[in-house]
Amino acid sequence: MKRNQIFALAAFLFVVLIGVPWLIQVTGRWDFYYTLTSVALLSIASAGVWLTFYIGRINIGQGAYALAGGYFSAILVTKLGVSFWLALPLAGIFTAVVSIFIGWPILRLRGVYFAMVTLVLTEVARLTALAMPVTNGAKGITSIPLPSGIASLENTKLGFYYVAVALMILVFAAMYRLVNSRIGHLCRSLQQNEELASSIGVNITYLRIIAYSISSFFGGIAGAMFVAISQSIYPSSFQVADSVNFMLNCFLGGLGYVFGPMLGTLVLYFGWDLLFQTGKLQLLIYSSLLILLMLVLPNGLLSIRLSSLFGDRK
Amino acid sequence: MKRRSIIKSMAVAVSASAFLSVTSLGAWAANETLKIGFVGVTSGPAAAWGTSNVRSMQTRAEWLNETGGVKIGDKTYDIEIVTFDDQKDPKRAIAGMEKMAQEGIHYVVGPNVDDGAAAVRPVAEQNGIMYFPYAFPKELYTAPASNAILGMIANYQSGPAIYKYLKENKGVQKVAFVAANESDPLSQRDGGVAAAKELGLDVVSDNVTYQVDTTDFTPVLTPVIQTQPDLLVLSGVAPANAPQLIRSARELGYQGLISTETAQDATVLQEGAGEMANGFISVGGASTPEIASDAMKEFVDRYTKMFGEYNDESNTKVYALEYILETLKANPAAIDSVDEFKTTMDTFSAPNPYMKGDSQLKYVGTTSFGQKRQVFVPMVVNEFKDGKFETLFIAEVD
Amino acid sequence: MEQILANGLYLGAQYALIALGLTLIFALMNVLNFAHGQMYVLGGFVTYTVYAQLGLPFIVGLFASALTLAIVGALIEKFLFRPVIRRSSREESTMLLAAGIAFFLDAVILLVFGEKQRGVPKIVNGVLNWDFRLIMPYDRILIGFLAILAIVSFILFMQYSKTGRAMRALAQDRVAAQLQGVNVDRYSMIGFALGAMLAGLVGGLLVTITGVNLGMGGPTSIKAFMMVMIGGAGVISGAIAGGFILGMMESIGLSVLSQYGDITYLAIFASLMVFLAIRPQGLMGKPWG
Repeated sequence: MKRNQIFALAAFLFVVLIGVPWLIQVTGRWDFYYTLTSVALLSIASAGVWLTFYIGRINIGQGAYALAGGYFSAILVTKLGVSFWLALPLAGIFTAVVSIFIGWPILRLRGVYFAMVTLVLTEVARLTALAMPVTNGAKGITSIPLPSGIASLENTKLGFYYVAVALMILVFAAMYRLVNSRIGHLCRSLQQNEELASSIGVNITYLRIIAYSISSFFGGIAGAMFVAISQSIYPSSFQVADSVNFMLNCFLGGLGYVFGPMLGTLVLYFGWDLLFQTGKLQLLIYSSLLILLMLVLPNGLLSIRLSSLFGDRK
Repeated sequence: MKRRSIIKSMAVAVSASAFLSVTSLGAWAANETLKIGFVGVTSGPAAAWGTSNVRSMQTRAEWLNETGGVKIGDKTYDIEIVTFDDQKDPKRAIAGMEKMAQEGIHYVVGPNVDDGAAAVRPVAEQNGIMYFPYAFPKELYTAPASNAILGMIANYQSGPAIYKYLKENKGVQKVAFVAANESDPLSQRDGGVAAAKELGLDVVSDNVTYQVDTTDFTPVLTPVIQTQPDLLVLSGVAPANAPQLIRSARELGYQGLISTETAQDATVLQEGAGEMANGFISVGGASTPEIASDAMKEFVDRYTKMFGEYNDESNTKVYALEYILETLKANPAAIDSVDEFKTTMDTFSAPNPYMKGDSQLKYVGTTSFGQKRQVFVPMVVNEFKDGKFETLFIAEVD
Repeated sequence: MEQILANGLYLGAQYALIALGLTLIFALMNVLNFAHGQMYVLGGFVTYTVYAQLGLPFIVGLFASALTLAIVGALIEKFLFRPVIRRSSREESTMLLAAGIAFFLDAVILLVFGEKQRGVPKIVNGVLNWDFRLIMPYDRILIGFLAILAIVSFILFMQYSKTGRAMRALAQDRVAAQLQGVNVDRYSMIGFALGAMLAGLVGGLLVTITGVNLGMGGPTSIKAFMMVMIGGAGVISGAIAGGFILGMMESIGLSVLSQYGDITYLAIFASLMVFLAIRPQGLMGKPWG
């Protein structure tokens, strides 16, 4: 790592772990804990979408894995009495395994075809959750106990914030590592020209499935964490709109930058929250700003000269 | 950059007008402000549900403020409605409830759907917020849950009453159920089927579902109509889908009765199905001419003046704010303590301003939930006739 | 059986018309127009306003819808998509723009037309009832007929007019078309306007049967995407085939699977995924998608 990267990392850790809690303490805006926890978790799911972009696939199906991960952990916790801290990684592994079976046939699709199939996947997940007995169908799973450890805290919001932020840091550190590894370079070659990559001996099927299952793992743990916070899950907890938003987060942050999804999520999610006082004009202002941003920065927010600080360009 | 300057000037205009309205009020009454919250859906496909809530609250609040505010204990308050659009997303609903807690609000109307109501429960309980969901799952209202108050009549309360009436008065024997494949309608369908079976009715079809975005209901209803029911129940039907379903059923030659347990809007039915909607049975509030008081008529007038068009769904949604304010009047200490509010709920009673006669506002629900966690609204079962609702019968929930 | 086929045909005609506009825009500009459904809703509200509110004849409403949406489409292409496409390094970025426009139209529709479901008086009364084997209201038959008429005239237009030929050349190979002197900017704009106009036209037609509300936009877009996928992205005959296939699948599925309840749509979606896994370019699409 270059010196300025280390500095940026230290500054980032300082801000999210100490700066934000201190600011909230000073200003008394306790509601921001949940907003920022959401941003952290949604950016984890978006990071997965970004990773599928990295192999040249537009993924609009992350909501399906978030839902699956949420249900899996909810069922483990409520029906089998498993500790949430064990259920969380298991939910990620479960969705990763599921995604191998789904990804193996559909990863052959490209461009808009892959995008559309994944979009349909989100709806399939919702309808499956409605139809299955183990998910309790339309009635959802409610009154899920808080995770041990967090339940005993006086301030559960702070607890969830730290867990979510820690997860986010781990996920993005792993992504950064992955992108700058040999596999990352191979993935980039897939993004540019699959036939060429294949002809020089890269096992593209294998590589794509690995990337897709890591992506789904992120979706699964994000979903499981959300369920722990809301202590309930319904078939509609993650829907098509969420899948689309995960994708938009990546676009907004910038597809060429590892930290794009994080920034994109922060702006899109926080932006909506900040506008809540505008009442019925909220959606109008929000969408106008979105279109304006696109006109000014069509390659994402991070395309304005931050590339030297935050990771390398594609 | 042009767009930005337009937005800027718009923002300036909005804040200026807000400032003006605040100062014009302040000029003749220097009251303290009491904030009441709303968390629900006011955009997207289900926008109608939350919008009728918000508008009812805003209409009533402005009316109260105009007449000098609300006297609670020794102080007089102006009512301010703080709204949050959760876009029908349970994750956003949590954020909305956090915002309400941040604003120091203890009384919130909403959310409008099952998943949102379940998701905000931890936040409401941690922050001492009483909330009035329009969602039916019983565990929201039965112990150990204690902060949610059902803002309307649940389908498992109105359904049996309607079926019983129709069985006894219209000779209904065979019932068919249709529902959208979403949580709320499916749960309501299951409740309805159980109630019908209990009454000894013959349920001839109960598993046909539709996507809410269906543009043609003929294929959906064809197999249902073939079972030749006497009564077709549209479980938890959204106001947008109701006219299309009615129209398709009638066009397929269906002659029997059609009913639902949710509130509907007469204009929407008239525009979408016209005279084919005649005889459609739904559950409403207290606005039919036979029972509406002068206050109810004034409410409708004011609503129409403020927003251009009335929505009949507001007949039931006018009540939540009234209950909050009347209970606070009965026990001023409840203004910052929901525990006081809960204690008062057990004995609370006040006259119902929106109905003729000596109807009372009180909390009920002991039969369904084991504790008083539901507002008492007269259960007015309506029949649609030539663009208007007529009262079919009135029942009560205990 | 006759009923199932008739239902499927009627659904198919309206679906195909929705899918046509989407696939045209995709073929010309490689833009997946997330706002297509919102344009359809806008078209419905325009016809509602003209026909039900102002009391003008239905056909005037239909023309007003088509015209309004054509103008909206042209403006969106010229001032939003064109600059973004020119400056973005990846063409997928237009998805965010399209989604932003979808949100924007949603917001405008909510503010201007309100949150309620809207409907218009029936244009024709009466129901065709053939011995209870086939039941079809006359207005539904008329709308189905008009939809097919619109599809046929669109195909003829694309096939024989100068503009249509230029657009087809553009869809096949943008660079080659440019070299042969086709004004790419101009025909992109016309194409986008035409696609939006088709969306508005369906909105205007269907408001007489299903009414319109602001929530219909997003789901309509998704359905249109599915039809385009079935037939093959960017292929006009594919969009028509996709529309009719989806219409038939819904009609048959809802009859055959009705006793199994919630699984009809699950089965449709799952079979679509399997189909695309076997045939990644849809029925008639180019293999590189």
